[in-house]
Amino acid sequence: MEDAGPSVAVENLVKRFGDFTAVDHVSFAAARGEIMGFLGPNGAGKSTIIRMLCGLLRPTEGRAFVAGLDVAQEAETVRQRIGYMSQKFSLYNDLSVVENLRFFGGMYGVKGAELRQQSEWAVELAGLRGHEGGITGELSSAWKQRLALGCAVLHHPPILFLDEPTSGVDPISRRQFWELIHQMAASGVTVFVSTHYMDEAEYCHRLALIHRGRLVALGTPTELKRHALRGGLLLVECAPLGEALEVLAQAPGVLEVAVFGNALHVVVHEVAPAIDALPRLLIARGLGCTRIEAIMPSLEDIFVQQIGAQAARAEAVS
Amino acid sequence: MLGRIRHMIIKEFLQMRRDRHARFRLLVPPLIQMLIYGYAATFEVYHVSTVVLDLDHTQESRDLVSRFAGSGRFIVQAALSDRRQLIDTIDRGDATVALHIDAGFAELLRKGEGAPLQVILDGTNSNTALIALGYINQIATRFARDYQTDRLSRRRPALVALLPEVRLEQRPWYNPDLNSRWFFVPGVVGSLTMVVVVNLTAFAVVREREIGTLEQIMVTPLRPAELIAGKTIPFFIVGLVEAALITLVGVWWFQVPFQGSVLVLLLGTSLFLLSMLGVGLLISTLCSTQQQAFASNFFFMSPAFLLSGFAFPISSMPAFLQWLTYIDPLRYFLIILRGTFLKGVGLGVLWPQMLAMAVLGATLLTISVLRFRKSLD
Amino acid sequence: MTWYRTVAVGRKEFIQIWRDPRSLMIALFMPIMQMALIGYGVSLDIKHIPVCAFDRESSQESQALLKRFQASEYFNVLRVVDTYRAVAEGVDAGACKLAIVIPSDFSERLRDSSGTTVQAIVDGTDDNSANVAIGYAQAVVSGYSNDVQLDWMRRQGLGQQATVPLRVESRVWFNEDLQSKAFIIPGVVALVMALIGALLSSLTIAREWERGTMEQLISTPVTASEIMVGKLLPYFLIGLVDAALCVTIAVFWFAVPFRGTLGTLLFTTTLFLAVVLGVGYIISVLTRSQLGASQIALIVTLLPTTLLGGFSFPIDQMPAAVRMITYIVYGRYYVSILKAIFLKGAGLSALAPSVLALALYAALIAVLATRAFRKTLD
Repeated sequence: MEDAGPSVAVENLVKRFGDFTAVDHVSFAAARGEIMGFLGPNGAGKSTIIRMLCGLLRPTEGRAFVAGLDVAQEAETVRQRIGYMSQKFSLYNDLSVVENLRFFGGMYGVKGAELRQQSEWAVELAGLRGHEGGITGELSSAWKQRLALGCAVLHHPPILFLDEPTSGVDPISRRQFWELIHQMAASGVTVFVSTHYMDEAEYCHRLALIHRGRLVALGTPTELKRHALRGGLLLVECAPLGEALEVLAQAPGVLEVAVFGNALHVVVHEVAPAIDALPRLLIARGLGCTRIEAIMPSLEDIFVQQIGAQAARAEAVS
Repeated sequence: MLGRIRHMIIKEFLQMRRDRHARFRLLVPPLIQMLIYGYAATFEVYHVSTVVLDLDHTQESRDLVSRFAGSGRFIVQAALSDRRQLIDTIDRGDATVALHIDAGFAELLRKGEGAPLQVILDGTNSNTALIALGYINQIATRFARDYQTDRLSRRRPALVALLPEVRLEQRPWYNPDLNSRWFFVPGVVGSLTMVVVVNLTAFAVVREREIGTLEQIMVTPLRPAELIAGKTIPFFIVGLVEAALITLVGVWWFQVPFQGSVLVLLLGTSLFLLSMLGVGLLISTLCSTQQQAFASNFFFMSPAFLLSGFAFPISSMPAFLQWLTYIDPLRYFLIILRGTFLKGVGLGVLWPQMLAMAVLGATLLTISVLRFRKSLD
Repeated sequence: MTWYRTVAVGRKEFIQIWRDPRSLMIALFMPIMQMALIGYGVSLDIKHIPVCAFDRESSQESQALLKRFQASEYFNVLRVVDTYRAVAEGVDAGACKLAIVIPSDFSERLRDSSGTTVQAIVDGTDDNSANVAIGYAQAVVSGYSNDVQLDWMRRQGLGQQATVPLRVESRVWFNEDLQSKAFIIPGVVALVMALIGALLSSLTIAREWERGTMEQLISTPVTASEIMVGKLLPYFLIGLVDAALCVTIAVFWFAVPFRGTLGTLLFTTTLFLAVVLGVGYIISVLTRSQLGASQIALIVTLLPTTLLGGFSFPIDQMPAAVRMITYIVYGRYYVSILKAIFLKGAGLSALAPSVLALALYAALIAVLATRAFRKTLD
């Protein structure tokens, strides 16, 4: 029977490649049916963490438990209990849809009637009914991703690892893909997803922000937004942007300034005084200011700030 | 324009230096081939393992056997005692030649009734067997003649001086000791240069196509002609250097003579390189990945090599294949190589080969350049 | 190790080979091409040697000798010249490979004193052809000399002794017609197997790494052994089919004698394939790029087999040091097995040493191959 404890637990996980530390003392746990998102820029270490959890890389230090099994000791058994979609190519492009399904079914020991049933489901899922004989490489990315998901769950794994499953897919298809993930989570599957699309982060139950191998923040999206950001966030539209940035960065009560599109996001200690003071400051310097208002921070804001904070900490140490 | 070409050439040399795969494929096989063709490859028969069954045990039979043993070519492994052993030995492949002298051999000799020497040859390697048979016949002839002379001198000594005989004096030209190395090493100059240049040229283009930088380059002011020049001139230079290097190794290390003119060799090499550049360019228009280029190289060059006369004489091939060799540039280059190394002949003799290579080279280059330009648009 | 995973891997590999036109071409067309190329192109049977004759005397006797050269199928008397310079030009230009120079006092010396010499100028560039040509020329001249001698002896009243004292009765075993194709063509089977290993099986693992599908594959429960066996199975079948193809062409098209049993051939070919495919696999595992893998494979499988395998250059005539090296060239054992099966009709007991060597090799390669592949990314 399934463990009552956490589905996946990671303790002080470290991965070094020579001198380079890809994963730096990361710890977290995920419960059954949870959608855990790894958020971070490219090269942050998200894929490395997922690969360690799948037994594809050996941890340098620390421990990881998947479905109650120690990944370092029992990698092969773990593989039977998980589904994995790798970042680059999860399917064989020169095989047809049905050949891919049959192959992965074979890998997980799904045969006969069960394979037929699961294949039907996967084909429906991917919207490929009638195209089963088509060569996979000729499918569009959106269909390929859904098919890959179908292949990954032919054996009903309790835990699913998806490494950047929606990269290169159009926004509407991405949303549909996430609906599928939610369905699975609702049926009790623990899903780990890594992504660098900030908007997708909102779909996860919990988020782990990864930057330079470190776990920068951990919590539900709401928690992160509420607690992570110190102070308030202002949207300031002004021109020219570059000069305004410099001016505001020096201004009192301003914690951080960053460019967002053709406006500035300004983190301030207190919102009300700032709304008053800043436009006057800008006009005094001969810069126009067309708009200023308080906004709710997005995860991107949180992220940028957390990264900045981490950098500041790193500098303080050195 | 020259400036752009110059930059392309420099880039090619830089990339050549850094390409690990190229280094491996261009250094290791040539080294191995030089070693093998210089030291191991030969069709010569130096020692034939022999067994002897002498059932006569007379002075004459022992004399005959000792001539074989003393020839330096036949290594008498064992003296057997019955026919069964002899058959088994050849069957097992433990010896290549078996000599069987029956009882009564000397008797027949004395009576002048033609004594038989039975020889069994393992014909598996027909070339070795043929050459061994030649040696056997030589030894047998000499024995017969000596015996004849000896007998005559005892009966009618006066006549001995008058016994007629025609002898053959062999005079090998260019390679007096008939040294296999002298045959193969000059050939290696040609075969290795071919492999290296075709390889480099084909890969240079295909690699860019594979990575995507070819597209990038075409967006620059670079003209197609300049691109082609940039992709062929560096390898022309490399080809010349390679040929020179192997020639030096052949002459200094392997002591193969060089009787002819360096200029003639230079001309021949240059013309040959033109064809090879053309082939390399042609292959590059057919392949989109380096992997494909590798396999294509092999399939183009394997027949070019086998049918060139490098190891196996063209005259032994069936007529239709001999006709085919007329479009193999290596065939002509080998004649030029062996002509300049061993024969010491010049343009007076070699002009047909030079002309042929010039024509082939021009044709190949034209076809490949046209195809290449098309593939760029 | 479970059979269904292995079969799944094998089936996928087979589909991928089937869908890749270049692999198919290598698998089906290459053996035929090699057989044609080598079967026709590689021959050491020297015939119709172009000869130029320089008869300085032009007597009845000298003409009689020249007629013998003309009558021989080994020689093709192209030119009759009358200056030494013409001889030199002919040989220099390569128009004649052999020049027979008969001295101006040929018949005189035959009648009056004990012998005369005919010069055979031979183009020594190709030493092997030269050797063979000299051998043939020697035979012609010896024959003529013998006849002259016996004739003379009869005229001297020594009729009783006017026979050739020594007769060589030679019999050639296994390759009665002394055709080079009989020993070269069986070796082509070894060549083709080696090529399959070099060009096909050496790509299998490297290709998955390059395409990125390897990661997905090793995240599944499939084991390293299952991957290896599954992936090599299709190449094994291809190898057997190609071997059958080559043997068929050899026997029915090139009329090479086949005196052995198909069972022995099948068994030994299986062993050799195991070695070749295993080596290709190991190379594929260790080199994660397709290009690197095929390069190394070509050098490690094809080059030694062609040069040192004993099917072109005879091993027993190589210098001792090189002969030692050939013991580790696994192609050598298979080539000698092939020759023995085709020409001698050898059975497994006669082939025991070579078979044992191959079996040892196969075992070693199997062990190395299973150890080499790890189901991790680093």
